[in-house]
Amino acid sequence: MAEITLSNITKRFGDTLALDDVSMTVPNGAFVVLLGPTGAGKTTTLRLVSGLDQPDAGRIEIGGTDVTRMTPAQRNVAMVFQQYSLYPHMTVRENLGFPLKSPLLRYDDAQIARKVSEVAEMLQIAHKLDNKATALSGGEMQRVSIGRALVRRPEVYLMDEPLSSLDAKLRADLRVELKNIQAQSGVPFLYVTHDQIEAMTMASHVGVLDHGRLVQFGTPREIYEDPVSVYAASRLGLPRINILPADLFAGAPTGARYIGLRPEQIRQGDGAESRVIRVEHLGDQTRLHLKFRNHDLITVTDAHSGLRSGDIVQITPDAPFYFDASGARVH
Amino acid sequence: MSHSVIARAAEATPPGLARRFKGLSDRAIAWSFVAPTIFLLLAVNIFPLIWTIRLSFTNFRANRPNAEVEWIGLRNYDRILTDSDIWQTMQATAHFLCWTIVLQVLIGFSLAWLINRKFKGNDLWTTIIVLPMMLSPAVVGNFWTFLYQPQIGLFNYVVAFFTGADPTSFSMIGSVSLAPWAIIIVDTWMWTPFVMLICLAGLRSIPDSIYEAAECDRASKWRQFWTITLPMTLPFLMLAVLFRGIENFKMFDLVVQLTGGGPGNTTTLTSIDLKREAFEKWRTGYASAYAIILFVTVFGLASIYVKALNKVKER
Repeated sequence: MAEITLSNITKRFGDTLALDDVSMTVPNGAFVVLLGPTGAGKTTTLRLVSGLDQPDAGRIEIGGTDVTRMTPAQRNVAMVFQQYSLYPHMTVRENLGFPLKSPLLRYDDAQIARKVSEVAEMLQIAHKLDNKATALSGGEMQRVSIGRALVRRPEVYLMDEPLSSLDAKLRADLRVELKNIQAQSGVPFLYVTHDQIEAMTMASHVGVLDHGRLVQFGTPREIYEDPVSVYAASRLGLPRINILPADLFAGAPTGARYIGLRPEQIRQGDGAESRVIRVEHLGDQTRLHLKFRNHDLITVTDAHSGLRSGDIVQITPDAPFYFDASGARVH
Repeated sequence: MSHSVIARAAEATPPGLARRFKGLSDRAIAWSFVAPTIFLLLAVNIFPLIWTIRLSFTNFRANRPNAEVEWIGLRNYDRILTDSDIWQTMQATAHFLCWTIVLQVLIGFSLAWLINRKFKGNDLWTTIIVLPMMLSPAVVGNFWTFLYQPQIGLFNYVVAFFTGADPTSFSMIGSVSLAPWAIIIVDTWMWTPFVMLICLAGLRSIPDSIYEAAECDRASKWRQFWTITLPMTLPFLMLAVLFRGIENFKMFDLVVQLTGGGPGNTTTLTSIDLKREAFEKWRTGYASAYAIILFVTVFGLASIYVKALNKVKER
């Protein structure tokens, strides 16, 4: 376990700028989630930290040591690959034991067997230990891939969408397990996901990447409550933040071009009239799709709301975000 | 088996096709498609095999078609299996087979491993390496007799250059101890590229991401080779061994061209011996028994081997 520092990292693949002058510190014991759409540089960041790729410029430190030119083995990192990358000719047991058999670790067979069965138990794949790695479902493969990282205690865990192909129940279970491991071991996590809930519940820090640039880095609450741009604001929140022309409502500051309204920033009961298009009862809440002066809005209302489509709801912005024409935040 | 194929073909034939062939059932149509192939197989494979088995119990000679054919039971087999000359050709064949396979697999795999690194011009190198395989065995045999020439041969000159020995002091083809190696060297020169191509296919079938995972799992290059590269290319390697084994068991042209089976009987492989018995000495019955013995041997070895191959593939 160690603090990880990226200083002014730049990485190009041919003409594409994958990472552009990224600096970030992953504090010891932190759980950093990287957010951003495909091509934003999330996986590249993981690969650079792991040592599978070398940056074109910049410095990477793990625990104060410059590891920029070191191999993955020297860095002692564990990575969960998005495409699983299991060893296809080995059984699940052999896959999980593989990292432990590294001569660098000096475990005896009994220790290896114990650690493998612990991890298999936790990931609910104990009954598949003697299956061949290719004779598994996608979700099982993904769990083996996670297990192969979790069997040892590296300096840092790097995970590239590790829960993406699991069903909802298992995903919720493993979120808790991963959080526990992070809390107990103190090993920092660098974690890529598209899942809002994973980002909000697991992250101690969130890094928002946009076309290779780190546009915001902070706690999930900071990103959620104080986004620097439309882009950063759109990364978190379910339903997504509504972005509308600022002049739809009174009170926009000068320079503001857009108004950003999260569901809780839309107060219902007074103000301008909007029409309900659709009502979605989700159990714990109700989602309202509204039409407001030819603009679509999604907001949340009381779980037992009796609203129906066609009804009229009055709405007012409540401490909204304002953004300028480039999408940057205006205060 | 043919019945189930017919049944399946009949099932797969769309309804309505029968209407165009008036009076024929679907089954009859399916048969009419399959029959030529079955007939051809029977005519050129099954019938000769059965006929050979029959002849192997007789003293028939093809150059004397009018002579009376005598039924002599197992006497041909008895004579072959107790003939020390034939055992010597078997040994020569085994020696040739084992060494060509060992050398071709070792060199072929190493070459494939080197070519598989990403470097500039590796396509060109692959083409150059594969060249010998594209030549006719007769041509290869012929020009290697020149390379092996003690007086003017390049091979002797190169050996002399590195060892300091006199190039005219040894003759690869003329010497009883060197001739078996002469044919092994030429076959290895010619067919190693083939093994290399198969190994290359095996190596290329391993995705980079597997090595990346191993890299992150802190496996050294050495360990990656033994735990990933080798096990994952093993089915390909075994396939190469199967191909080369079958090919070299029936090796004929190259060796006839190079040594003609000599000196003495040292490079007389079974196929050469068999050809002599059948078409020079015209002992057709005897040669038939010989062929059946070889067939059973190859068939037995190949089926054991294919079973092992399938086991490796399943792993």
